[in-house]
Amino acid sequence: MSMQLCSSATVRRLLLAVCCLISDTAIGQLLKSDIVRDVDLHAGRAMADWIDQKSQAQWDQEGVAAPLIVDDGTFLRRLYLDLTGTIPSVATAREFLESTDEYKRAIAIEVLLREPRSAEHLARVWRRMLVPTGTPSEGMGQSIEPWLKDQFARNAPYDEFARNLLTVKSTDATDPTKPYATSAIMFYQAAGGNAEGAADSATRFFLGVRLGCAKCHDHPFAKWKQEDFWGMAAFFAGVQNGTVEDSPRTTIRPQDGDVEYAAKLLWEEETKLDGASPRQVFADWVVSEHNPNFAATAVNRVWQHLCGRSLAGTVDDLDQANAEDRAVLLDGLAREFVQSKYDLRHLISAICRSKAYQCSTVSPNQLGDQLKVADVRPLKTLSPEQVFDAMEQALMLPVGRSDNAARFNGERMAIVARMNEAFSDTPGDFSAGIPQALMMMNGAVISDATDLATSRTLRAVVDSPFMKDEDRLETLFLATLTRRPSDREREVLLASVQAEGAAPGTVFADIMWALLNSPEFVLSR
Amino acid sequence: MSGFDLFTRRDITRMLMASAAGVSLSGWMPKLAAQSETAKKNGRACILLWMGGGPSQLDTFDPKPGHKNGGPVKAIDTAVPGIQLSEYLPGLAKQMKELVLFRGMTSKEGDHGRASQLMLTGYRPVEAVNYPGIGSLLAKELAPADGELPGFVSISPFRFGGVGGPGFLGPKYAPLTVSGNSADPNARADLTVENMLPPAHVSEGSKKSRIEMLHFLQQEFSSKVASEAAKVHQANYDRAIRMVETQGKNAFKLEEEPEALRDAYGRNRFGQGCLLARRLVERGVPFVEVSLANSGNVFGWDTHTDNFNQVKSLCDVLDPAWCTLMNDLRERGLLETTTIVWMGEFGRTPVINESGGRDHFPLAWSTVLAGGGLKGGQVVGDTGKAGAEVVDRPVQVKDFYATICKAVGVDPNKENISTIGRPISIAETGAEPVTEVLAG
Repeated sequence: MSMQLCSSATVRRLLLAVCCLISDTAIGQLLKSDIVRDVDLHAGRAMADWIDQKSQAQWDQEGVAAPLIVDDGTFLRRLYLDLTGTIPSVATAREFLESTDEYKRAIAIEVLLREPRSAEHLARVWRRMLVPTGTPSEGMGQSIEPWLKDQFARNAPYDEFARNLLTVKSTDATDPTKPYATSAIMFYQAAGGNAEGAADSATRFFLGVRLGCAKCHDHPFAKWKQEDFWGMAAFFAGVQNGTVEDSPRTTIRPQDGDVEYAAKLLWEEETKLDGASPRQVFADWVVSEHNPNFAATAVNRVWQHLCGRSLAGTVDDLDQANAEDRAVLLDGLAREFVQSKYDLRHLISAICRSKAYQCSTVSPNQLGDQLKVADVRPLKTLSPEQVFDAMEQALMLPVGRSDNAARFNGERMAIVARMNEAFSDTPGDFSAGIPQALMMMNGAVISDATDLATSRTLRAVVDSPFMKDEDRLETLFLATLTRRPSDREREVLLASVQAEGAAPGTVFADIMWALLNSPEFVLSR
Repeated sequence: MSGFDLFTRRDITRMLMASAAGVSLSGWMPKLAAQSETAKKNGRACILLWMGGGPSQLDTFDPKPGHKNGGPVKAIDTAVPGIQLSEYLPGLAKQMKELVLFRGMTSKEGDHGRASQLMLTGYRPVEAVNYPGIGSLLAKELAPADGELPGFVSISPFRFGGVGGPGFLGPKYAPLTVSGNSADPNARADLTVENMLPPAHVSEGSKKSRIEMLHFLQQEFSSKVASEAAKVHQANYDRAIRMVETQGKNAFKLEEEPEALRDAYGRNRFGQGCLLARRLVERGVPFVEVSLANSGNVFGWDTHTDNFNQVKSLCDVLDPAWCTLMNDLRERGLLETTTIVWMGEFGRTPVINESGGRDHFPLAWSTVLAGGGLKGGQVVGDTGKAGAEVVDRPVQVKDFYATICKAVGVDPNKENISTIGRPISIAETGAEPVTEVLAG
């Protein structure tokens, strides 16, 4: 049955059905909102089909088989982590696994994209793109999250998103109609509060061009010259000492230089200012559908977030890709994105429905030599916040302020800070060190979680008189890894529980510890 | 499974897990170090004594007796004729033959954060480059590929703005941080690694089965998913587990040391930290940082008020600890392979302010090197009678870095690739080591 045959009534039924599987909050939200009526599953499918066709053509050309599609549990955990930053509850996982609804994946995507938690999570992800991890001003990045969250919650078109950020000014902070201006301005503060930093960050983030090196000398690997950098910086001449204004000035002089550079758009022959504010001219040029890099960089970023690697070049440096690389998928998908009027939610939904997203991380060489399979998806390392949020979910940690919840009492902050010391912005890299491993092995949260006296999940499992050991084991796996144990895991671990003289409660605590410390907990498949 | 009737279920479990992990049960268990190990004969090490806040050069290594800028501090003779130190450092005065004083340090950074970054990375802060700290840089060059302990251990770290981490070298070169449980510098220091002990409620049997189960799950996972990330995860856990099993080769068991020696180091965090530094160097850790900061006053050496009493009390901690460290290393034959670096982010104003304090002064100040790779008993640079400027042999931070590199046997021009693909040398391009202080 193709999606085209779905009536809106069918869509509504499907949505209702899946919401019952997702979570209590989703159900509540759904009943109160218009989501059911407004969701257009057809449009998303069309773009997903386009991606699948292109991918298939590429796989055919390379002479490899299409990758395997993952099972429901892996899909659900992946989707939850990518769209909401946490993992599903045991109840949600069970219901999703047991549901026979053939559209359950599509509907889960649509519902999760509308969860408030999704805007919060995507804001965190985009904050790290705006202010990369490991840069000196990393700490300021969090202050941009409220503005980002608002953009995602409203599903602001991406051109509007860019214009908003590129034209916000300090005086907007006192304008009651612009409640998120203070937060948006932090983009400029994190970039150093000056014209050079703003130009560098804006071109990197929106256009995938690294001009920073060209500030002091001509770019060593790309074609950019010092005058290119300063020509772009001149548009931001009104950004000075942390104040963000629209200066009528259209030239800039480097602090220790004697050349005055005029505003010049990077690869344009001609730059017309015509008395408009320079940043306005800059923003118009950035978001123009004729700009070859704006939509492509946005698509590249979304793709990397969801699929673990960029489509071409790197998200911060499209110069590393040649026209051929870009022609495979990136430029076409960018055109689709422009046609959708820069609808981010639509783009995310389409990618999540595609085979490229739903494919398995199983490596081709593990399927035997005779079958060569496209290798499209790496494991993705959970971000510091995802690690904590996944633990909170798996362990059913209290979430109320009055319960001394870890998310409020400083424990979350400590865990995130420790994890952040060893976090790389490249999703495929796992880079934690010994302090991070020690925290997961022996830290307070894990310690409580694997102590029968204090762990909610463990108590619920061990004390439940209705459960057999097999059910108990399955529940621990679902709580942590969103899947049932394999036959081999069941055999080995149950043998341990039922061993002579073993105290089953203690053994389940040990299993819980091993699951939380296992690579599968922190590496999203 | 009938053949398994001979065994108990527990045995079967263990065997299943052992075979699943592809190793024998005893294979992954490290053999507990039975005898005290000594660092490799050629193994070079560096101990950084970090003086956060900016120590006063005039009241330590560059006294100005008889000038009003010198204040009430007297100068005393040292083991090297013609070189004098402040009376606050009587022990070091006797060890002057090991020391090289850099009295002509000069920089342009007078803000704690920026200056700390400069001194701890060798580079002035710029946007977009996250320079690695000296500990990570040298650990990368000096640490054995698969040491049981990390290459960089930081004891009671105190730094402005959290600078001096691994930067673009990545978390592999991040320090293992040792914290002191007691904030009182006079209390018996209890130096521990965070989360190194398994929770008290876990029995010995459970500890073992947890690790076995983890190995089993790791094996199951990597049989399904071949990935570099999964390998790194496993290798990292292997190192962490070994650290826990051996409790860091027992480096942290200061109670193994004679009481008299612990007393000599000083029963405070810095003193015991220096003792721990020796134990770590002995066990092959190439870079150890020990921080000296006052209790209560987190700024340590930032003596804007009441400079002289504060510097004296800091020196009362510094002098015996540092002297004992050198004696201790010497007795074990480790001093000639271990370079000691003493520095803060800048010095302090020669002019004493109205509150009896001294303010930030990056123009002319002092750092010290001692031990391995150095020809001791020398002074480099001169700040004249008043200490207001370097009148002879100024040394830039990059030159100081190149000198440290040479002393520990590392090429200062060695380049690392930054995150944006730019090669960056350990010491900034153009750095000149101060060759006259280098041994051999």
